[in-house]
Amino acid sequence: MIQIGLILLAALFFPGIILRTKSIVSGRRGPGILQPLKDIGVLFRKGSVISQTTSWIFQAAPVIGLAAIMTSLLVIPFANFKALLPFEADFVFFAYLMAIGKFFMIIGALDTGSSFEGMGANREALFSMLVEPAFLILMGTFAMLTGYTSFSAIFSAFHMDGNPYAFIYGLISFYLLVQIAMIENSRMPVDDPKTHLELTMIHEVMILDYSGFDKALIHLATYVKFAVYGSLICSSLVPAGWNTALQAGLFFIIQMVFAIIIGLAESFRGRNKMFRNSQFILTLSAIALLAFVVVLILTQKLIN
Amino acid sequence: MLNLFITLFAITLFYFSISERFRTYSVLIAVQGILLFGLAFLELKQVNIANFIFIAAETLVFKTFVVPVLLYRIISRTGVYKVHTRAFPSFYILIFTMVGLLVSIILSNVLHAPNVDSVYLAIALFTLFTGVILIVTHKRIFSHMVGFLVIENAVFMFSLAVGSEMPILINVAILLDIFVSVLIIGVMINRVGEHYSDLESENLTRLKH
Repeated sequence: MIQIGLILLAALFFPGIILRTKSIVSGRRGPGILQPLKDIGVLFRKGSVISQTTSWIFQAAPVIGLAAIMTSLLVIPFANFKALLPFEADFVFFAYLMAIGKFFMIIGALDTGSSFEGMGANREALFSMLVEPAFLILMGTFAMLTGYTSFSAIFSAFHMDGNPYAFIYGLISFYLLVQIAMIENSRMPVDDPKTHLELTMIHEVMILDYSGFDKALIHLATYVKFAVYGSLICSSLVPAGWNTALQAGLFFIIQMVFAIIIGLAESFRGRNKMFRNSQFILTLSAIALLAFVVVLILTQKLIN
Repeated sequence: MLNLFITLFAITLFYFSISERFRTYSVLIAVQGILLFGLAFLELKQVNIANFIFIAAETLVFKTFVVPVLLYRIISRTGVYKVHTRAFPSFYILIFTMVGLLVSIILSNVLHAPNVDSVYLAIALFTLFTGVILIVTHKRIFSHMVGFLVIENAVFMFSLAVGSEMPILINVAILLDIFVSVLIIGVMINRVGEHYSDLESENLTRLKH
């Protein structure tokens, strides 16, 4: 239960830290860390305007999106605490939950009948499809390295004594998970949340018709998703056997560093040209595949 | 250390598939030369001093220095810096390269050759596939030449896969490789480059008419 509380707490401050990083780097005073939460509060108090051309799918999509991500919290472990609902191959379940949330957001966008939203949904579907192999290869390599297939068992066995590859693979997984989280949440360099031109938007144009309460749910889902990936990064870097209080401190530090990295990336990194995005995302799968081969070599499973 | 060199070598091969600038190709060929020297230095135990000097000269002098410098000269002389605009998209080349890596691993495990190191064999096959992919998917002759050099590195890796010594036959084959590389690069600089500045392979097809 503790992990769900920690992830939700981290999710509350995550967007604020990104925003503060961007304002400090660009030399502005900028809004406070709690500003995104205040914005969400305003949106929650507003009613939703729903187009008459849409069906129940459009209204259900944000709720299902948030529900899918909240359900994924059930399989995320923290320190020595197992996940609430650990089972064999739960990382595949996690990937499918992410896909279900995304799928409903996509058909919700298509439900509006807007060509712009269809275009955004098309791009987001492509990027999600391309990033999925990277995540599954990454987790498959974790599974091969540890001999377990659930998040809880993998991360508790990963940093056991006598595993000399934990640090190297932890760093590779850190890089990959940061990139995967940024793509899954439609941030730089594949998408720019600040863009205001529909033709160049991806995620923003997909949720263009949502307003008020529904939009607040979508934002909330994004924040929780960031914190979920941050939690996975923390689990891959910090040994599960350490003191719980120390781990909780490291959890928040890693989440903060993760948010700062995203803020810095959005400040200094240009957005990819649209046709370059697919290659960029596939490169992550190639890196994951290389890591897989490295683990094969290191564990001497390639040698007959 | 060996594993690190092998991994870095595999990374250079992936870099080949996503790179679109010829100068990057030259740098990658130089890096591969250094890595091959490192691998040969660490792997070859029963090698005499003459053989060692030969291998050092081949990898450090030739592959790391001479060939990249010649490649740079070709790039400067022809003014062609990037792969063809109508070339196969890097996205698909990357997919082919990934498939190539998987096929190499499966092949090296399936072959079960008793006297061959499976890790070297897998990376050598992967290098071979990357060279072939470079040649098949690119339009400009420069890429074809780099593909040939990559295949040559694959042959070197194969020789490392078979054991801890370099037989004289392999040395002779490497000598032949060096000869052919110098010949091809010389022809590129002095003959083809003067007439066809854009270095397109289609021009060579028209040459016979």
